[in-house]
Amino acid sequence: MIEQPPANGSPMVEMIKVSKRYPPDITALSNISLTIARGEMFFIIGRSGAGKTTLLKLISSMEPPTNGLIEVSGHQIHKLRGAKLSRLRQKIGVAYQDFKLLTDRTAAENIAISMEVSYKKPQIIRNRVRALLEQLDLADKHDSITGELSRGEQQRVTLARAVANSPTMVLVDEPTGNLDADTTERVVKLLNNSHKSGATVVIATHDTSLYHNSSCRIMELKGGAIHAIEGGDRA
Amino acid sequence: MSFWLTVLRQVGRNLRQTWMSQIMTLLTVSLSVLIFTLFYLIYANMLNVGDQLGDELRLIVYLEDEPVPEMQEQLKNKIKSFDEVEEIRFVSREEAYEEFSSQLGNDKDVLEDMPRDFLPPSIEVTPLKTLRSLNQIKLFSGYLAKLPGTLKVQYGEDWMERFYHFTRLLSIVVLLSGSLLILTTVFMVAYTIRLTIMGRQDELELLKLVGATNNYIRTPFLLEGFLQGFLGSTLGVSALYFLFCWITERFTGPGFLNLIEFTFFPPLTVLSIIAVSILLCTVGSHTSMRKYLRI
Repeated sequence: MIEQPPANGSPMVEMIKVSKRYPPDITALSNISLTIARGEMFFIIGRSGAGKTTLLKLISSMEPPTNGLIEVSGHQIHKLRGAKLSRLRQKIGVAYQDFKLLTDRTAAENIAISMEVSYKKPQIIRNRVRALLEQLDLADKHDSITGELSRGEQQRVTLARAVANSPTMVLVDEPTGNLDADTTERVVKLLNNSHKSGATVVIATHDTSLYHNSSCRIMELKGGAIHAIEGGDRA
Repeated sequence: MSFWLTVLRQVGRNLRQTWMSQIMTLLTVSLSVLIFTLFYLIYANMLNVGDQLGDELRLIVYLEDEPVPEMQEQLKNKIKSFDEVEEIRFVSREEAYEEFSSQLGNDKDVLEDMPRDFLPPSIEVTPLKTLRSLNQIKLFSGYLAKLPGTLKVQYGEDWMERFYHFTRLLSIVVLLSGSLLILTTVFMVAYTIRLTIMGRQDELELLKLVGATNNYIRTPFLLEGFLQGFLGSTLGVSALYFLFCWITERFTGPGFLNLIEFTFFPPLTVLSIIAVSILLCTVGSHTSMRKYLRI
């Protein structure tokens, strides 16, 4: 279903012996070593609690690792501070599993946030927001308060926000969890477009339909450790 | 979109979301400024009055007998040996009678049966303008009282003391109300910004995650503090100005108040009050950010 793009250059993500433990003594990830190339589409699969979301949180610098080294675009992301960290985050679009939407704002305002922080012109923001809402079949929800949207609609708004600023890497956590087949297709198309334009796309999912015919690499996590990496030519 | 345009949009949004607490803070800042500036205005005017009265200050030394010219010279030297004075004027019994008579105006008939030398001779001493403190005047008066042939020295001691204590009390009130202004302004603004930060925790976290810089997140809060300071102090000083106009208009007419010329703050003082209020509010905002904004 998803196409494999040409991937080249230095890695977008480099993880060496990364572990994450939460107090009192819960090991979410242990000893993860992984390289994701620039422009690659990469799937992370596994049961609930396998560590998929934690891995995305570490890559997006939402949380620091307990041990190990993580480099994103050549930077040790957990050592970055201030403006450098902000600049890097502007280049990473994240669609969170819990959406992280501002539920008292409209769908358009939520999508615009990721572009506003990098001071895009209002006209460009307006056009981009409309185009994304159109692609995700949410054109009529432009001025709807996101708190009043269905979960499926909220999920699409989150996804639109993640890709709105044309990031160099998109991290997506369960992008199709609340969607019907038709809408899933739209979402996949959006991610494919982002990927084709050169972005690295990392998708954590349960949905086998997203990757079963794909030539992309698929990493399976089990109990916080890498169980298998299949597909692609970098496995 | 430019940085400032984005920041102003954020500020507008914040103000809309927390307008109730913003208005309460604005009123508190205005009231604090009003209370402080009211006392400060009274104090500044009292100091002016003190200066005006100081210009009129004369110590009158009543003498037993009229001094002969040699004695006058001796007395002048003795007075000058204490401190330089602006003027020393000897008033004979005759001159004292004439002055009293002219002061009585139409009622001078009452003096008809009085001998022209019933008033004692005196020396009017006008001290230098540098001699202004009550203690210095008391010391000078004590010195003059010990001059040979002195009956007593008069300079409106009771009145001066009362005035001096009143201005001292006012200076304490000004200090207290100034401290009140600082405390309420800093704490109220800090509290409001804290409420805003608490209420926008989700948004701030998201802004952080999508790559907003620290300046992008912090500047709207600082600007809110700035606005609170500017609007609050402008409102407070304006209220004081209207109060001042109302009082001066209402109490115009014959009476004690008419003897004194009341003035409002000069523009530079008004600007300084507004600038200090802005600074205090911005400090309040900054304090809250440092404490509660984790970025």
